[in-house]
Amino acid sequence: MRRILYLVRETIANIWANRMSVAIGVVTTAFTIACFGVFFLLYWNLKNLAGSLQDEIQVMVYLEPDTSKVMVSGVRRHLEGEHAVASVAFISEQEAVKDFHQQFPEESSLLDGMGDTPLPASFVVTLAPGFQSSELVEGLAERVRGVPGVEFVRYSRDWIDTLGLFVSYLEIGALVIGLILAVATVTIIANTIRLSFYARKKEIEILRLIGATGSFIAVPYVVEGAFLGVVGGGLSLALLKGGFEVFRFELDASGWFQGLDSVIAFFPLQISILLVVTGFLLGSASSLLSVYSLLRSRA
Amino acid sequence: MIQFFQVTKYFDRYAALRDVTLRVDKGECVLLTGPSGAGKTTLLKLIFGAEVPDEGQILVQNRNIARLRASDVPYLRRTMGFVLQDFKLLPQKTVFENVALPLIIQGTAGLEVRRKVSEALKAVGLDHKRGSQAAGVSAGEQQRVCIARAIVNSPIILLADEPTGNLDTNLTMEIIELFKAIHARGTTVMLATHNRQVVEEMKGRIIRLHSGRVLSDQGVYSETNSLSCP
Ligand SMILES: Nc1ncnc2c1ncn2[C@@H]1O[C@H](COP(=O)(O)OP(=O)(O)OP(=O)(O)O)[C@@H](O)[C@H]1O
Ligand SMILES: [Mg+2]
Repeated sequence: MRRILYLVRETIANIWANRMSVAIGVVTTAFTIACFGVFFLLYWNLKNLAGSLQDEIQVMVYLEPDTSKVMVSGVRRHLEGEHAVASVAFISEQEAVKDFHQQFPEESSLLDGMGDTPLPASFVVTLAPGFQSSELVEGLAERVRGVPGVEFVRYSRDWIDTLGLFVSYLEIGALVIGLILAVATVTIIANTIRLSFYARKKEIEILRLIGATGSFIAVPYVVEGAFLGVVGGGLSLALLKGGFEVFRFELDASGWFQGLDSVIAFFPLQISILLVVTGFLLGSASSLLSVYSLLRSRA
Repeated sequence: MIQFFQVTKYFDRYAALRDVTLRVDKGECVLLTGPSGAGKTTLLKLIFGAEVPDEGQILVQNRNIARLRASDVPYLRRTMGFVLQDFKLLPQKTVFENVALPLIIQGTAGLEVRRKVSEALKAVGLDHKRGSQAAGVSAGEQQRVCIARAIVNSPIILLADEPTGNLDTNLTMEIIELFKAIHARGTTVMLATHNRQVVEEMKGRIIRLHSGRVLSDQGVYSETNSLSCP
């Protein structure tokens, strides 16, 4: 009990005695983790975006003008016969015009004077999960193009693929940057702990002399490192959250990318906790690293 | 208790101790003496496991120190007490906290800690200074705090390296009396010094070292022996 009390007091005293270097350590750790966090946040959002877009891949099948009812149901039957198709919705020429007016009220005049049916009727095809790969969509489009009554098939393959590729690059990037920044964090914390350690060299000598084990002597420093990591991680989280809110606010105010602010999101709680846990692990690991020699020597 | 068998210790090919064989029994009072660089400190360091012999064997309480793992060294040291020339107290902590330290690192219960620390402080006559900051008490008192810390754990062996090195004649006498009292209670005492006053007053077995060798080893100090020492 007294031993634990002693260790707690020692740790606090260590941190207090070294408060300047500990503060610097915390701030640098926070910035390093935040750097990674920004990158990770970008990756996280794009991945989610890509995921939700992938879920929503739709194939638009436009029909030739004045297609007969029989032909329309022929196309529908063909589409429903495809494995990859989850659902099919028909939009008649009239509905297409109505939709247009609804979506772009200001551009309504564009359609004026283009006759009763300026827009073609179409089928909106939603793909079944698991059939959203671009090859399958391509094959589907190819087959549908040959069906009588179909004028053309459109789907947003290209940029979804590009986004997917971009996300996988980001994944590699996040890994590399994360690794580099982890090494940087370990170095920063290890140095801070080493300073704290050398500041108390004389005290450690005494502890050794009276028979304290290496691990007993090391505990306050390891705890100090863990503390540094946790506070650094927490601070980085606060920085990220603050930065994120500012970014979102600016985005709203600027009026660009309307609707984007409903898509972008901060990390969920689990990931936020993971960030702090990462700080904790990095902190403990670095301090262990810097007191490792102590645990092994005799004198 | 302590046995050296043909122990040799080198520091960069310079032999600080050469072929030392000796045996100290339980309850003995041994004075290690000899000129500076003779190997006194090295000999003590070998006993508490801070150095490892290059040749020979050392048994301390029937344990082979040469083969002791680094992780076992702390447990060896807990059976010993140390007093050094520079006091090695924690200056910011109180007298009480300094003396309690060897007990705390072993996880001794709070009540026991208080009892033992009081006992040790009384033995060195400093119970009234228990709340003072270690840096604040006088040099003689600081050394007495060190002695209290060394005996608080009821060690089997008390090792002292120049314990009076920084003290004047009167304070030296005080410390000598303390060591005598500790020895009288049955503790094995091994004291390295080149202070003649200590050697004369302690009246123990005298082991004279020179250039890492045991020059002489006999019962009590006498003037003739001191003259034969170069
Ligand atoms: N860590 C070390 N590295 C190199 N040489 C050392 C080391 N420790 C001791 N020596 C050498 O070993 C020899 C014996 O040293 P030691 O400290 O044992 O002498 P001593 O008898 O205690 O001397 P003093 O009376 O001055 O304290 C000396 O020549 C010293 O320079
Ligand atoms: Mg010496």
